[in-house]
Amino acid sequence: MNAARHLPILCLLILFCADVKAGVLPSWLQFWKSGPKTSPVKVEKKSVSVAAFGGGTGASARQALVAELTTAREFLLTEDKADFTISGSSVGGRITGRIVNASGKELIERTYAAPGLDENAKALADDVILAITGKPGLATSRIVFVSDKSGTKQVYLCDPDGREVLQVTHHSYGAVSPSLNSDASAVAYTSYRNGFPVVQWLDLGQGWERTVTDTPGSSFGAAFSPDGQRLALVMSFLGNPEVFVTDLTTSTAACISDTTGAPSSPAWHPDGKQIIFADDRGDGPRLYIAEVPETSETEAKLLRWRTGYSFCTDPEFSPDGQSVVFTTRVGGEYTVVVKGWPNGATKVIQGGGASHPSWSPNGRSVCYAQRGSLYVHHLASGQRRAILEKHGQITEPRWMK
Amino acid sequence: MAAMMTHTRLLFALMTALLLSACADMPKLPKLSGEQEPTVVYALGSRDGFQSPLQGALKPACPALEFGGDGYTLTGGHKKLLSTLVTEWEKEKPKYLISGYTPPGLPEDFARSLSERRAQAVRQHLIENGIDAASLQTVGFGFDSSPSSPTSSVVVIYRQ
Repeated sequence: MNAARHLPILCLLILFCADVKAGVLPSWLQFWKSGPKTSPVKVEKKSVSVAAFGGGTGASARQALVAELTTAREFLLTEDKADFTISGSSVGGRITGRIVNASGKELIERTYAAPGLDENAKALADDVILAITGKPGLATSRIVFVSDKSGTKQVYLCDPDGREVLQVTHHSYGAVSPSLNSDASAVAYTSYRNGFPVVQWLDLGQGWERTVTDTPGSSFGAAFSPDGQRLALVMSFLGNPEVFVTDLTTSTAACISDTTGAPSSPAWHPDGKQIIFADDRGDGPRLYIAEVPETSETEAKLLRWRTGYSFCTDPEFSPDGQSVVFTTRVGGEYTVVVKGWPNGATKVIQGGGASHPSWSPNGRSVCYAQRGSLYVHHLASGQRRAILEKHGQITEPRWMK
Repeated sequence: MAAMMTHTRLLFALMTALLLSACADMPKLPKLSGEQEPTVVYALGSRDGFQSPLQGALKPACPALEFGGDGYTLTGGHKKLLSTLVTEWEKEKPKYLISGYTPPGLPEDFARSLSERRAQAVRQHLIENGIDAASLQTVGFGFDSSPSSPTSSVVVIYRQ
């Protein structure tokens, strides 16, 4: 009788255990599983050798290129026989570079004729990285940030080494909340022109400026879509602040958030179809995902993304769309955290006041502001470096991507 | 009899297991807990003719409304301060700029949104108490204008 009494429980147990592998159980019962297992694939680094460069400035061009490739840490630089060989020449700062693989096939041959030798070496290094790894190099990428160095908050640009710092805005009441498009040719930001917030768009190549929105209330948090044709931003002219997507070519805007709270810092998924943002509905900011409607008839879908933290701001999707980096509060201090999207493990990247993280274009590093300095943090090695210090209070950094 | 009982239980266990497995295919519902009732319903009118506190010292129309935490709900104290404004408006019909501020140290974009949301909550309350919506404009500075402007969690109402 005893055995009979326990039979049902036994049956249930057997069924459960048998079903684990088949994945039939509902997710809320799979308490022993901690999300999908992602085993990091060990990728062998390709070996690259840089041959001697001809021409008058050949030696310094080679030296600059080797320095760029060493900091990039994408290859094994060798003097012996390598998977790829880079050769070239340089005259008067111009550089011509050529990449040849082990079987003698030429991948690229290109001439770089920008005014500076370093600039040309960086462009060549990024092309070498893109041609061999398929991921963008960082040497020519740019980070945009806000600093109060001049007395008011203004928008600045710098390269990933914290050099070539350039002040982009000179507004008397300040400019904040900047973002760069994918090739760092345009920056969108909020300026306090006439004392009220206005979202503006500056073409860095041509130098012209355009006002995207000059609506009553507040406008801020502009973020370029991956194709650079649209901006996601927060506006409050309807009353409650909401996330809008505005088309830069047609100057139309669609509301996608439908909140009654305080939404902030929208960021795009690399597929351009989803936007993640923080929204405070009265109990602190949490993360929400909105689907960008493809036509004006369809309504935007909205869902909450549970991160396990009660205070989350400034989210940003990684370039591969597999993770989200955001700011949270741990023990009263701001902390930068990466979490797998849509379900994945959470990893604390940096505590102690680190905030407003942004991915590098290759997805291997993040930059963030901490105690007024700008840091670049390599995720795999955990190594971090203050690339810009004592440049006023640095806030809101964003890497182009 | 005992055998029958066992069969019934076995059947019951099987049914339960099947039912639980079926739950895996249930669609995920959007989870939007902790939501407050929609409170801001009036769109803003034109900003023309309004002066920003950044352009010059403006006189506050009433003591600053202080907020705590990450919330934007008005307290009884706030409403009491605002009641004097409603009587003032009924006499002279002035325009007011409702301007939100936060202390430095919050995430910047969140600070802008929170200060704007608080200003909107104040505007909504004033409209509900009879002030014309066109006479009320909002702006949320976060802490972008600090340290020359207020550096605490306040909403200041400037008479234009």
